[in-house]
Amino acid sequence: MDLPGPFPVGRYAKTLRDELRKRARVRLIGEVTSLRQTPKQAYFELRDGEGAVPCTIWADELERLKLPDGALRDGAEFVVAGGPDYFIGSAASSPSFSFRATHLRLAGEGDLLARLDGLRKQLRAEGLFELQKQLARPLLPRTIGVVTAESGAARRDLLAGLRRRGWAGTIVWAFAPVQDRRAAPAIAASIQELAARPEIEAIVVTRGGGSLVDLWAFCDETLCRTVAMLRVPVVSAVGHERDSTLIDDVAAVACSTPTHAAEAAVPLDCLAARSGLERSAASLQRAGEGAVGARARHLAALARGPGRALKRERIALNQKTREIRAASERGIAERSSFQRRIALVVLDRAARRAAGPEAKQRREALRRAEVAFRAHDPERTLERGYALAEDAAGEPVTSAAAAVAAGRVRLRFADGRVGAEIESDGGGHERGA
Amino acid sequence: MSEGPESYESAVERLEQIIDRLDSGQAGLRETLDLCREGRELVTYCAAELDAVGEGLQELRLDELAAKLEQPAE
Repeated sequence: MDLPGPFPVGRYAKTLRDELRKRARVRLIGEVTSLRQTPKQAYFELRDGEGAVPCTIWADELERLKLPDGALRDGAEFVVAGGPDYFIGSAASSPSFSFRATHLRLAGEGDLLARLDGLRKQLRAEGLFELQKQLARPLLPRTIGVVTAESGAARRDLLAGLRRRGWAGTIVWAFAPVQDRRAAPAIAASIQELAARPEIEAIVVTRGGGSLVDLWAFCDETLCRTVAMLRVPVVSAVGHERDSTLIDDVAAVACSTPTHAAEAAVPLDCLAARSGLERSAASLQRAGEGAVGARARHLAALARGPGRALKRERIALNQKTREIRAASERGIAERSSFQRRIALVVLDRAARRAAGPEAKQRREALRRAEVAFRAHDPERTLERGYALAEDAAGEPVTSAAAAVAAGRVRLRFADGRVGAEIESDGGGHERGA
Repeated sequence: MSEGPESYESAVERLEQIIDRLDSGQAGLRETLDLCREGRELVTYCAAELDAVGEGLQELRLDELAAKLEQPAE
């Protein structure tokens, strides 16, 4: 070991004390804890979320400060001015380090705001403001937990807000001394216990208004870190100024009043939801009935279709029949007319032919035919002396057999008729009369 | 609908989709009847959820609940 020394410890202790006393005098801010007073000195620790320093102040110096009675107590926020010191010990007492305070005062709003600002920056930088805001908040929780004072306007206002929403589920109250500036540990414990119950779907932390000093418990770093890490959404309604406390920053929702906190904890307006649900049910009913009704009407129309189609076809058929009849009558008339026209043309031609040069020839031919005809006329034959045998009916008898069969004939001469009996010759009949 | 909705909000969201679809008039008969049946089930579910928080406020104290938990089971 090649370190300097060994030195006598007493001398080293005095050197250490002198070195510490040379350090710059400063002011510290923090919460007073573990306060203990003796006739000579007051001892306490000044601490915040990150650490603590043991402090001492001489009794006479404390006396001169004339602090209000009871101001210096555990949990109070104090600004302490002084510097580090080292008590080197004595035969009767142990050595100790302390921050030797020469001045104390209660922390004011400005001190707290400055401290709050530092804390806020730190927690934001760690991302703790976002964790709760990422949690899903149920629209209609059945059970909510509430941290508040047992007696107070906040509780009453919260209940009124829930009632106005038509919500009448289950509330688990975790009453805590929210008016106490040192209540942060108790509040944090209540929140944690509520969050540990599985049926609790949202937690409300609320208290009425006050100064930042009054609300300082809700700026407690440990409390705020606890809230930030919970998996149950926390609705904060602390004081009347939104975002004035650190818990507002880390909570899922920050509200300005307990009434608003009720709306944030139960986002669904149950009364309006019931009306909406009734409208939905009516819409569904209408849609269902409408769809079936419309289709039933369509089906009925389809069912009537074949009959209607037949009727339609029958009418069309009758119409066609009438048209065909009319057309055929028209056709006949037209054809008759045409034929008549043809006949007239033929007759006209014939008439014209008859009146033309052919007429003379035709008359000559007729005359010749008449001469020939007359030459063959039986009358001409009778005039030459022949007779014609006729039966009773006047028909010519042209054979002997027919004459025998007739028995009686009439003989026609050119100048008249006479009756005649036919005689049979027994062996046959003679040819001729 | 073989399974119930996960939550009131999912039920309401689905119900709104159903009513939008029915209002569009584009659903056929089979789909309309199916949607109506599903919608009625959702309405029933939502009504039951509302009933569950509408039958009277119940107030419990955390310290009493904790005390109950600490009692030995009977």
